[in-house]
Amino acid sequence: MKIELRHIHKRFGTVHANNDISMTVDAGKIVAVLGENGAGKSTLMKILSGYQPADSGEIVLDAQLASYHTPQGAIAAGIGMLQQDPLDIPAFTVLENFVYGQKTGFLYSPRKWRERLKSISARLGFELDPDQPIANLSIGQRQQLEIVRLLSMGVRTLILDEPTTGISAEQKLILFEALRELARNDGMSVLLVSHKLEDVIALCDSVVVLRGGRLVGTLQLPATMDQLVRLMFGQELAPPAHECLVNPKTAIALDNVTLRGKRVTVQNFSMKIRACEVIGLAGLEESGQELILRACVGLVKPTHGHIALGETNLTGKSYREFLAAGVAFGAAGRLEEGLIAGLTLTEHIALATENQSLVDWTRAKMLTDQKLKQYNVRGRPESMIEQLSGGNQQRLLMALMPEQPVLMALEQPTRGLDVDSSHWIWQQLLERRERGTAILFSSPDLDELVTYSDRIFVAYAGHIVEISDARQTNIDELGRLIGGHFEKASGS
Amino acid sequence: MQRKGLLFVIVALAFVALTVVPALAQDEFVFGLVLVGPENDRGWSQAHYEAGLYVQEQIPGSRMIFFPSLNPADAPETTLLDVATELIDQGAQVIFTTSDAFEEDTDAVAEAFPDTPFINISGDNYLTGEAPANVGNLMGQGEWSKIIAGCAAGLATETGSIGYLGPLINGETRRFAASAYLGARYCYEHYKGGNPDDLTFTVTWIGFWFNIPGVTLDPTEETNTFFDSGADVVMSGIDTTEAITIAGQRAAQGETVWALPYDFIGACDIAPDVCLGVPYFNWGPSYVSAIQAVKDGTWTPSWDWVGPDWTDINNPDTSAVGFVKGPGLTEEQSAQLDSFIADLASFATNPFVPNSFALWSGPLNLQDGTELAAAGQLVDPLDVWYLPQILEGMVGASE
Amino acid sequence: MKNRTLLTVGFALLPIIASVAITALLIVAVGSNPGDVFVAVTEGAFRDSRAFAGVINFWIPLALCSLGLIVTFTAGLWNIGVEGQMMIGAVFAAYGALFIDLPGPVLILVEILLAMLGGGLWAALVGFLKTRLAVHEIFGGVALNALANVWAIYLISGPWAPPSGGTAQATAPFKDTAVLPAISPEFPVSLIALLLVTATLVIVSFALSGTRWGLQLKATGKNSRSALLLGVPTTRSAMSALIVCGMVAGIAGSYRVLFTYESLRPLVSGGIGFLALLVVLLVGLRPLFAVIVGFAFAVILAGSTRLKVALQLDQSLAGVLQGFIVLLVLLSNGLRQRFTSDSTSSETPNTTTTVEIQRTQEHG
Repeated sequence: MKIELRHIHKRFGTVHANNDISMTVDAGKIVAVLGENGAGKSTLMKILSGYQPADSGEIVLDAQLASYHTPQGAIAAGIGMLQQDPLDIPAFTVLENFVYGQKTGFLYSPRKWRERLKSISARLGFELDPDQPIANLSIGQRQQLEIVRLLSMGVRTLILDEPTTGISAEQKLILFEALRELARNDGMSVLLVSHKLEDVIALCDSVVVLRGGRLVGTLQLPATMDQLVRLMFGQELAPPAHECLVNPKTAIALDNVTLRGKRVTVQNFSMKIRACEVIGLAGLEESGQELILRACVGLVKPTHGHIALGETNLTGKSYREFLAAGVAFGAAGRLEEGLIAGLTLTEHIALATENQSLVDWTRAKMLTDQKLKQYNVRGRPESMIEQLSGGNQQRLLMALMPEQPVLMALEQPTRGLDVDSSHWIWQQLLERRERGTAILFSSPDLDELVTYSDRIFVAYAGHIVEISDARQTNIDELGRLIGGHFEKASGS
Repeated sequence: MQRKGLLFVIVALAFVALTVVPALAQDEFVFGLVLVGPENDRGWSQAHYEAGLYVQEQIPGSRMIFFPSLNPADAPETTLLDVATELIDQGAQVIFTTSDAFEEDTDAVAEAFPDTPFINISGDNYLTGEAPANVGNLMGQGEWSKIIAGCAAGLATETGSIGYLGPLINGETRRFAASAYLGARYCYEHYKGGNPDDLTFTVTWIGFWFNIPGVTLDPTEETNTFFDSGADVVMSGIDTTEAITIAGQRAAQGETVWALPYDFIGACDIAPDVCLGVPYFNWGPSYVSAIQAVKDGTWTPSWDWVGPDWTDINNPDTSAVGFVKGPGLTEEQSAQLDSFIADLASFATNPFVPNSFALWSGPLNLQDGTELAAAGQLVDPLDVWYLPQILEGMVGASE
Repeated sequence: MKNRTLLTVGFALLPIIASVAITALLIVAVGSNPGDVFVAVTEGAFRDSRAFAGVINFWIPLALCSLGLIVTFTAGLWNIGVEGQMMIGAVFAAYGALFIDLPGPVLILVEILLAMLGGGLWAALVGFLKTRLAVHEIFGGVALNALANVWAIYLISGPWAPPSGGTAQATAPFKDTAVLPAISPEFPVSLIALLLVTATLVIVSFALSGTRWGLQLKATGKNSRSALLLGVPTTRSAMSALIVCGMVAGIAGSYRVLFTYESLRPLVSGGIGFLALLVVLLVGLRPLFAVIVGFAFAVILAGSTRLKVALQLDQSLAGVLQGFIVLLVLLSNGLRQRFTSDSTSSETPNTTTTVEIQRTQEHG
């Protein structure tokens, strides 16, 4: 389907989120929409997919002026959006979710729908068991189901928002292959919003770049990463530096710990992290790396073994005692674990820094102003945290952490961030590392793991393998280890 | 002449209007009722409300105004003082506070309105001398109707086990339960021919006048417990109708059980076949005489404990307490009960017997074995009023 | 900006006007004159200083409970146990009034402190059940409410029954030195209680906006998981919020026995705690508003005493009016959010979060 956007405008209060955006996507093309957080990508996609109306402007689909005001209307017009978190119903089965929202007619025939589900997934190479409850599916599978559902509803344009976040490398390959197949054979148009430039380069035919609500450039692919970065930021990014300014003594030691999770158990695991070290944790979701990371901050208690931070034995102590001993923790879900929706930025800063029983709001506000500048957070002290974009939220989270902890344990520190924001976060982290902080982080992004880690621990179903020199490894090897091929491990 | 005639008529009419209309207004006599429960509770409060209606019929020009459900739970926003103020503001010339729950407050409020007579039902503040000069007490001798009700239970029981569903424990509820016990024991022995010591009479106090889920015992459950543990008659001493309802349900499933509700004449209608009768109060006549006295300016405070009209305990115009026989009685039992009532009447009306309750005669011991009355001795009515424990022979708590 | 203010005022008045209109229609439907009803309620509340005192006497415990509940709602807790906390406050105050012999002013101080102790302890039990035994505060609260009532009735009919001729409906009236003095016979309201309400209003407002404790409560209430990760002692926050609310509710309970009834009676809490829950749900976490709306409720309810007496209209009409106001206010809040896309979320009690307790850490 051919899509034309003509002079789209959208304002939120004083913010001009989309400023006169006009673009065309030809049928059968895969187009990436790039831009920093807050550039207006999400707004534009929401307008196109019916989640919110434009203030002015036209959407023309296959030379027909479209008018819809709801996501259902957009789907009827042929446009479906795949959310970052698929909006499915956990208690339902795959089949029930598939049928949900579709016109089943007066007589519902489960067999017919089951066949339909099977045939579409088979064509795209998806493996979906119709009778599995959604709760048992991985994010990648839920995404596949949503694609199948949208296709079954007759969608001819797919919008994907960060589709490769949280899915395995293998699932990513399947997804890309399916998208190419649909574009090539069905004339499906695909709009991809992603921060991962390597994905964009691998998949797309062209890119459009938004900055500050305006469309600032388009580029036909193939192109190099540098070209894309330059188009987005007008600059290229330097690789990180590695230095250590203190005596690298042991920061944290896990001695023979056993950690029980809901689905997986890590047994008799030992690990030592020295000051100035960056340790990456790799693995598919719930392979055990989450348990290790959270054990290091006292959020998971070992059923066996000891944990010591420096000289202090912290086995069995509470999270707050870990905090007091010098750990800092950043969870993957920023607004679920870390930031508090409904509180202002100043309130966050006050919460983290005030230790008098009376809050000095003047001082807190000044400190907030200062921190916002220091951490490059775009927002005002009195803004609610949920009004900030993801990158700004992550930077604020960083501002809330102590300046120089013994250990920083971070789950997916750059989740959902653009290249610029990710780079900035890592600069901050590496600065702290230089001054002696040990950093432990997990990431689904193999590039990130290989780029920043000194050592990597790979988890597969509770088994842990160590890559003792991350510089000696590459993405392919890491990918194999994550998939459980331990026999080729280079160290242990 | 015509003009003069017309003028005369007009002046005459005006004169009549000026004198008669105020006279009509003056003729109206407003009395106030404060109820502890709703006026349609099929129990205690409804009995008082109906007495008010009866007064309106009997005393022309009288008008009732009332306030229902005055208790901390239903009307937390107001107090007896506020309500009395409103009633007096609306013209009430005498106020009946119809619960012992109002006893203390009535005294305090009466002090604030020294010109208005207050009559507190079931209290004894006049008797004890605590009341101000404008407070009197009124109570019916429910002991008699409870004795009769007890007799009906004693006649009917086949298992020799009777359950009594009591509200909270105080002097009044103790003496009513004890009266029922004495009636049951007497009739079980003298009409039924049983050994009175074999008769089991169990009192379970649920904790309040009606079921408050989570606070009181559940009367439905307690009634079932009675029946399950061998009792075949349950007497109700509480304001609500669980006993008769459950008895009706169990009878419908083929069990041989009976119940006696309390307080509301029509309560048998719930399950007529298992109803042995209802002991009740009939406040109307006492209200009429009190209001008439206030109206005539002859009222003086007193402590009135009014008995039945022994010529016909169910005469609505004369008897303060009564007992309606229920369809659950056999003809024989009904006749026996009549003869028992006749015996009570001759006891009560015998001029040579001192003022006392029948069957309340020695030897009688309190539950802890203390002697209440030696053999042949009558219990003083005030000792009945202030009964400190239930009686020896009854099963249940005394406090 | 002006438009915005207009809109806010409009949305505040709309439900009140609408509910009055609907109630008026209902009154006409049952064959009465709405004007008479209005006059009766107004007269009932404002006729003279005594009538107005009736309003104030109902408002005092209602305002106190509302202020206490703002604290627990800030911490994300549904302290439905406020009713029982009032009751226990009443019981503890009654203990002081019945059994402690001290000069007047000291005795009153002791009674109020006892009431705070009792209410606080009862609330701490709710907190203990929640934080140690994972019993949700609603269930714990309901159970403890019932227990408080049972205990009070037991005391009244048993150990604390008046020495002779007890009716088991009340303890003996408290001695004169034990009850709160009235401002004057014409205006029977306790000055001490008025001062306590004012003090509570000031303290709660300040504690929530200007102290670290208040900030931590707010964080706990909005997202206790995040709060915990930011270093807030969430268990202690929840516990302290409950205890503070319990203490304030205890004062409210003591007022019922030390002034309104001058003796301990069953069910003296009278559902005032539940009404306070409603008030706070309506106005959100704004102490001053809660006190004002509480006053409006007191006017309607206390004024309606006259309704029943003067017009012999069912008193529950006031309840109907109140119900409509609540319903329509909630509706108009929803509408306002739609029209103004104004996120007032920070001011409405958080009704979804449950407080993260330290135990849950163990399964990360």
